[in-house]
Amino acid sequence: MERFAFFPGCLVPARYPAMEFAIRQSLLKLGIEIVDLEGTSCCPDPIYFKSKDKLSWLSVAARNLCLAEKTGVDLFTNCSGCTATLSEAWHLLHEDEELREKVNRRLAKIGMEWKGTSKVRHIATLVRDFVGYEKISETVVRPLDGLQVAIHYGCHLLKPSNIMKVDDPNDPSMMEDLVRALGADPVRHRKWYLCCGKACTDEDLPSNMMRDLLTTVRDEQAELLCLICPTCFGQFDHGQMRIAKLFEEDFSTPPVYYFQLLALAQGEPYENLGFERQRFKPECLKRFEIQEPVEEATS
Amino acid sequence: MAAEKGRAAKGGAAKGTASKGGKADIVHVDFAFKRELAEKIEGNLASFCYQCGACVGDCPAATYTDDFNPRMIMLKVLYGLGEELIGSESLLWECTNCYNCAERCPQDVKPVEVIISMKNMMADRGIYPEGVEKVINTFETTGRTVPMSSAVDKQRARFGLPPLPPVPMEEIQALIGPAPATGEE
Repeated sequence: MERFAFFPGCLVPARYPAMEFAIRQSLLKLGIEIVDLEGTSCCPDPIYFKSKDKLSWLSVAARNLCLAEKTGVDLFTNCSGCTATLSEAWHLLHEDEELREKVNRRLAKIGMEWKGTSKVRHIATLVRDFVGYEKISETVVRPLDGLQVAIHYGCHLLKPSNIMKVDDPNDPSMMEDLVRALGADPVRHRKWYLCCGKACTDEDLPSNMMRDLLTTVRDEQAELLCLICPTCFGQFDHGQMRIAKLFEEDFSTPPVYYFQLLALAQGEPYENLGFERQRFKPECLKRFEIQEPVEEATS
Repeated sequence: MAAEKGRAAKGGAAKGTASKGGKADIVHVDFAFKRELAEKIEGNLASFCYQCGACVGDCPAATYTDDFNPRMIMLKVLYGLGEELIGSESLLWECTNCYNCAERCPQDVKPVEVIISMKNMMADRGIYPEGVEKVINTFETTGRTVPMSSAVDKQRARFGLPPLPPVPMEEIQALIGPAPATGEE
């Protein structure tokens, strides 16, 4: 079994524990062993705390990386924001010797040193590279046949591409392939490249942007919007309610975190996955429970 | 450098100005602003901007507002027009942090990082939007952006997950304090 250190961040464990539950269920079935980290903090977030002081932001990120280094394995995140912070921190510390020395002087105060031995991966990249689409399909007992899944990549999984090195930022295919592995049909709507808008403190700008994005998802008649970031999720769930009211328009597009979709396809009952806590509930998924799960995963 | 920084900080926003209305618009470049920005991580990158405008086309903030334009922001940085960039009504907060500008820039300027560095300068002067300050305070006091609570642990228990462990705050505080404005490394 491949082992990876789990960096949970803030949003998933505290606000969306259903996502953490799904991750733990599904990785086990994919043959990935989770090594839990002790004493992690916020990554820290790449928008607010980074805006206060980049050097402090980098130092706290380096501390989180050191915690993974102690376990001797690479680290994975479940949030694109954590991925952005930890990947960028790793990159800066690796490239810039002067900065590395500055940060390591701070870390020395708490008896740590960043060495760069644990690399950073988003969980979506982890399952693509260490499990593979075929093996993901083999764990599916309830194929999501015919389900129309709109894709939201978000920003920080792909960009900056020279640091992330995940996929072509102008024409990615990874999430489509992950969705296909569950038997569903990916829908790349026209505004797929837009940002969720959460990091922007303006009010009108993100509202207009999300309205455009959700309009194209609706035009494509997608049944849900699949994403891999809890921040984007919050925007499209709570935020969707706000803009539906603002524009007096009904988008009715439930957002779903990919690993909850995976857990469901792997046989986890709908009611165990916490969907009832969403403002827009993906009830379209209930139709896959009518069929009896296939006894054994086909291989 | 430290002395320059001290002077700029004391005067509030740095003093770059563009005077208009004469025969020609005269810009007084404020080098103190630029030097202070260059002290921030990747704040010096703006110097390499040659104003091609590649950053504008894919910028969501430029698409969805009239006033936000990353090329213009980089031009103001080149001139050191600090007051127009980092005042209390700063439009830098309209940036969505999507990194499209960094993807498109042929000069590796990373406008988004230069913008974040200018936000660091605003923070040194105590200028934050209210919502931003709230998140920062939550992190600095709890080590998380969503603090632990009994309600959170109850939700976690529903999914068979253990309570959230506390963050060793003495370690976090050793890393982030004292305030960076004092020049401590």
